[in-house]
Amino acid sequence: MDKETGRQLFHLIVGLFALGLLLHFGRSFTAAAVFIVIIIGTLLMNLRLLGFKIPLVTWFEKNFEREGAKLPGWGSACYAAGNLMLLTFLTDTYQIAACMIILALGDSVSTIIGRLGKNKIPYNGSKTVEGSLAFFIASLSAFLFIGPLGIALAALATVVESIPELEDNLTIPIACIALMLIL
Amino acid sequence: MDAITAASAVSDPTLHLISTFIDNAWVYAAIVLVLLFIGERRDSKRIKIMFSLALVVLVGMAVKASLAVDRPCIGQSSCPADYSFPSMHAAVAFALMIAFLDKKSFIFYLLFALFVSFSRMNLGFHTFRDVCGGLVIALVAYYITDRIWERLEKRGAKHG
Repeated sequence: MDKETGRQLFHLIVGLFALGLLLHFGRSFTAAAVFIVIIIGTLLMNLRLLGFKIPLVTWFEKNFEREGAKLPGWGSACYAAGNLMLLTFLTDTYQIAACMIILALGDSVSTIIGRLGKNKIPYNGSKTVEGSLAFFIASLSAFLFIGPLGIALAALATVVESIPELEDNLTIPIACIALMLIL
Repeated sequence: MDAITAASAVSDPTLHLISTFIDNAWVYAAIVLVLLFIGERRDSKRIKIMFSLALVVLVGMAVKASLAVDRPCIGQSSCPADYSFPSMHAAVAFALMIAFLDKKSFIFYLLFALFVSFSRMNLGFHTFRDVCGGLVIALVAYYITDRIWERLEKRGAKHG
């Protein structure tokens, strides 16, 4: 398994684990868990930036961190922040679950499938139509939690995910929250 | 009320005094500016941090107005008049903390942010959800600031 596939599988497992926490223990408990993860994560990022070698962090970086990442652990920090955003801005458990499953499944599936695709998105040379289609299909799982609104949510998230140069772990939750609050 | 918010309601006169002291917006702004100027010597980075703090305040105010979440202390005499979510005090403290991510002093700013967050819940003015909202807004505001700065630096380098 190559590094990017491993990274996406890790992303998927963590996302589904957070979703499990939400459905089993509720919003407050999950928010507290993600909050603690972010605080510990920033502390580890700080130690790493100061040059400390922490075996677990080094292993994590070597196996899961994207090449040329802005900061060590930046991608994970954004993913955790995106989940915390959903857990605090939305109050309905099923709406949060719908957005969390898009964030977990959509991004992972689109990256894995997208790399096999050949047709580039006209306005984003780094993503493929096949990847976006996979993202949309995977995101339809939101239907399980919120019914037909999940289709609109999946469509919106697909468009947002395809926008170049933006951190989709932050932009997808922002778009999902905006749609949920408007409707 | 969630367990963390409930657990933060400890009764301690010294803690209450400090929490009330930093509750004042002007006092808090002065403390934040002093911490910023002590911790960062480079003028360009100071401007960047101040920009991110201003963005935190703007985004925070917009979210407060649009979500209109009532304070947990509503109905009590000392309760602030505005909305609860997110905690602006926490958002500003977390934004300051993130700005010092690459410095040895980070741990101090982290503890400061956690103390400010705790003090807001201790006074009964905010819930843990408001504090989490503050952390999210701080992260997003710093990300946006960083992107803007990156572009400005690229543009500056291009124009010599």
